[in-house]
Amino acid sequence: MNAPANLSRRAFLVAATATGAAFTLGAPAEAADGFAPTIWYGIDRQGIVTVHVIRAEMGQHVGTAIARIVADELEADWSKVRIDHVDSDPKWGLMVTGGSWSVWQSYPLYSQAGAAGRIALVDAGAKLLGASPADCVARNGAVSAGGKSVSYGEIVARGDLARTFTAQQLEALPLKPAGERRLVGKAVQARDIPAKTTGKGVYGLDAKVPGMVYGRPKLPPTRYGSVVVSIDETEAKKVPGYIRAIALDDPSGTVPGWVMVYGKTFVAADRAAEALKVTWKTDPSAQVSEDGLQARARELIADRTAGALVVEDPGVDAAFSAATSRLERTYATATALHFQMEPVNALAFEKDGRFEIHTGNQWQSLVLPWLAKALGRDEKTIVLRTYLLGGGFGRRLNGDYAVGAALASKAIGGKPVKMVLTRADDSRFDSPRSPSVQTLRMAFGEGGRVTAMEHHACAGWPTEAMAPFFMPKGANGVAYDPFAISGADHWYNVGAHRVRAIGNDLANKAFRPGWLRSVGPGWTNWALESFLDEAAEQAGVDPLAFRLRMLDGSGRNAGSAPNAVGGARRQAAVLKRVAEKAGWGGPLPKDTGLGLATTFGQERGMPTWVACAARVAVDRASGAVKVEKLTLVADAGVIVDPDGALAQMEGAALWGMSLALKEGTAFENGQVRDLNLDSYTPLRMSDVPDVEVEFVASEHAPVGLGEPATTVVGPAIGNAIYRAVGARLRDLPIRPEAVKAAMKA
Amino acid sequence: MTTFRLNGRSVTVQAPEDAPLLWTLRDELGLTGTKFGCGIAQCGACTVHVNGEAVRACVTPTGAVAGTAVTTIEGLDPDGRHPLQQAWIEAQAPQCGYCQSGQIMQAAALLKANPHPSDTEIEAAMEGNLCRCMAYIRIKRAIRLAAGQGAKA
Repeated sequence: MNAPANLSRRAFLVAATATGAAFTLGAPAEAADGFAPTIWYGIDRQGIVTVHVIRAEMGQHVGTAIARIVADELEADWSKVRIDHVDSDPKWGLMVTGGSWSVWQSYPLYSQAGAAGRIALVDAGAKLLGASPADCVARNGAVSAGGKSVSYGEIVARGDLARTFTAQQLEALPLKPAGERRLVGKAVQARDIPAKTTGKGVYGLDAKVPGMVYGRPKLPPTRYGSVVVSIDETEAKKVPGYIRAIALDDPSGTVPGWVMVYGKTFVAADRAAEALKVTWKTDPSAQVSEDGLQARARELIADRTAGALVVEDPGVDAAFSAATSRLERTYATATALHFQMEPVNALAFEKDGRFEIHTGNQWQSLVLPWLAKALGRDEKTIVLRTYLLGGGFGRRLNGDYAVGAALASKAIGGKPVKMVLTRADDSRFDSPRSPSVQTLRMAFGEGGRVTAMEHHACAGWPTEAMAPFFMPKGANGVAYDPFAISGADHWYNVGAHRVRAIGNDLANKAFRPGWLRSVGPGWTNWALESFLDEAAEQAGVDPLAFRLRMLDGSGRNAGSAPNAVGGARRQAAVLKRVAEKAGWGGPLPKDTGLGLATTFGQERGMPTWVACAARVAVDRASGAVKVEKLTLVADAGVIVDPDGALAQMEGAALWGMSLALKEGTAFENGQVRDLNLDSYTPLRMSDVPDVEVEFVASEHAPVGLGEPATTVVGPAIGNAIYRAVGARLRDLPIRPEAVKAAMKA
Repeated sequence: MTTFRLNGRSVTVQAPEDAPLLWTLRDELGLTGTKFGCGIAQCGACTVHVNGEAVRACVTPTGAVAGTAVTTIEGLDPDGRHPLQQAWIEAQAPQCGYCQSGQIMQAAALLKANPHPSDTEIEAAMEGNLCRCMAYIRIKRAIRLAAGQGAKA
């Protein structure tokens, strides 16, 4: 799905075009201090290069990576590069951080911007040196020729920077060969890290302005459909520091049923919110349960007319009819919480004709229209001020919390309100990963060859709930959520393939399904890679050989430039490599198994090829699963920041393990059951296995790394458990009782 | 009103005695390095030292620290260069960073009591510190580095 990349590129070019030239290196109004060769960076008279980054800093060190991309082509002095995470502004175009897109989308844009800047500096520097540009070398923030040199700062101060580039010229700029890279691919210390070791990093929760009051929302019993009936302040008034409680009026429908409780301190607002008595009238979503959601999913899967046909090759039904054998299995995943460490919060106030929202956020462009509707004002008069995120993971793609804070401020005349949700509030107000049900079928023909495959997936759809404009149409004309089916459109040659994506209407009515790290592939790959092991067994073939045979790169799986050169062959390569590294086929102790799984990452349009081998030991008596080692191999093209990439693989892999073995909740009476760490239990340090990560050395286009490793660990563990003790688990999370029961089955 | 020593200087706060120390530190005293994560002492993001012992500020009443010496992440080292802070940078440990103040404070208390902990001892001491980014591999490596044990974990 390439829409987002094209949108941001188009937005950049359109924004530049609007000023008269696609890429102007003239001196704009701010030239007094320096010059801005593009909106993406500026250089001042001291030679300080400030790179403007629209991406949210949420632990992936994206600012450092993007600055390296610019600085390398620009031949800047790295010690003079600064990173500026910008506030929202229309001039930036689309502002979103997610999808593992940032480096992939930024690489061409910022490389070209850097190269164009370098060319202009060489031109202007050559004139100052009295040399021809061909005789000049740009290196480390200076232009040199014939033993003389002039720094970028001097060129900015004294030079004549008037070179312009058309869009076509920009795109045609030759970028550095790999051998000339001085920054990309080399070790670097992330610029955001030092402040995170001293308590100086400023997160949304840390934002403050003089005179602010605090707000804690009294949340309704359900996400939607609850209407405030009565508010009783009697007990709340006894709390020192309590100010008042207001049922928010929300024209945007983002925070229905909210009552904001105001206090002079957070402790006052918190205690008053506990003491305040509110009654709501609820709708049927107050009766929704996890079992009910999953039952509805199964019902929808059984209805052949439901959903969108995302892949519909001719001959699927014929192949199943003619098959010598068939296999059908159903897999499920439970509701999962984002549980980012920093509970959602925002500081909102009106100032100088604008509404300011101070918060960490991953998709400013998405929430601005909601804020405009809620506040009844033009988007251009609203600004989102940028902060570090204490965890994104997709929770902060959904900026609904910002709307609550904005309305809280509006309700008291635009005075500053710092809204903080407690952990329990945050869990209840989460847009969790919807529970899912998936049914997979495979048809085998002569000699055990796979002749057809079907994948039917049903879950709540986040994109339908929050960004319906992002929903493409399937072959049958029905719109679908790409972030709730991606992964099922795999790169295996399975003959005739059918993929059906079905939205769980009960889920979307009852709660706001969310995008949670690795989104669709995070749970579609659970089913797919578990199923392939089951299918291999049915075919009497080793699971590695079974997969490699189908990753033949034929037809649509051959891949294409620029993002998927090599196609399925690259997936086969990482799978082979991980099997070799992990000792596939070697002897293992009793009740210990090695399981494989692979992925193409987040989407066919931007494949990140990853394979995982999980070695697990199962305790037969208790069903407890101990993951001893995770081996991962990734082919992500050019790696901009090698250590940052490694950290993302480590973190993403452990997320996958946590979602497989340690995390899961359930809807009860329209709400998630587990609200805090007493019963929702993400992975802790003592759970961490041995983790080994290898990157394939590659010159292909850089693709994303924040999420892909999350999608392979669960199925690798599931497959390992089966190989260890013959217990096949098809539901996540895998709990010891289920392992015991499956051993008996 | 409660009086105590905070990062080496005497402070007196107006917060109610039963207000969690966490919010007194953050909001009344303006030290936002100590973070709020769960409110039930299960995540460790709020870890500070009281008379040298690691405690969870979210469940410590402000009145309970009267007359004690409280140290927050801001006061761990005057220049932010405590061996753990240096090791944290060398190991490139933080990702989102939100839990890291608490991780460092907990680790500091560990190393003070046990300068050369085994991996098992590190895991036991750090069990209460959740890192949602799952940066545990590097957190452990940084602790080992600071303890002079080398980076391999």
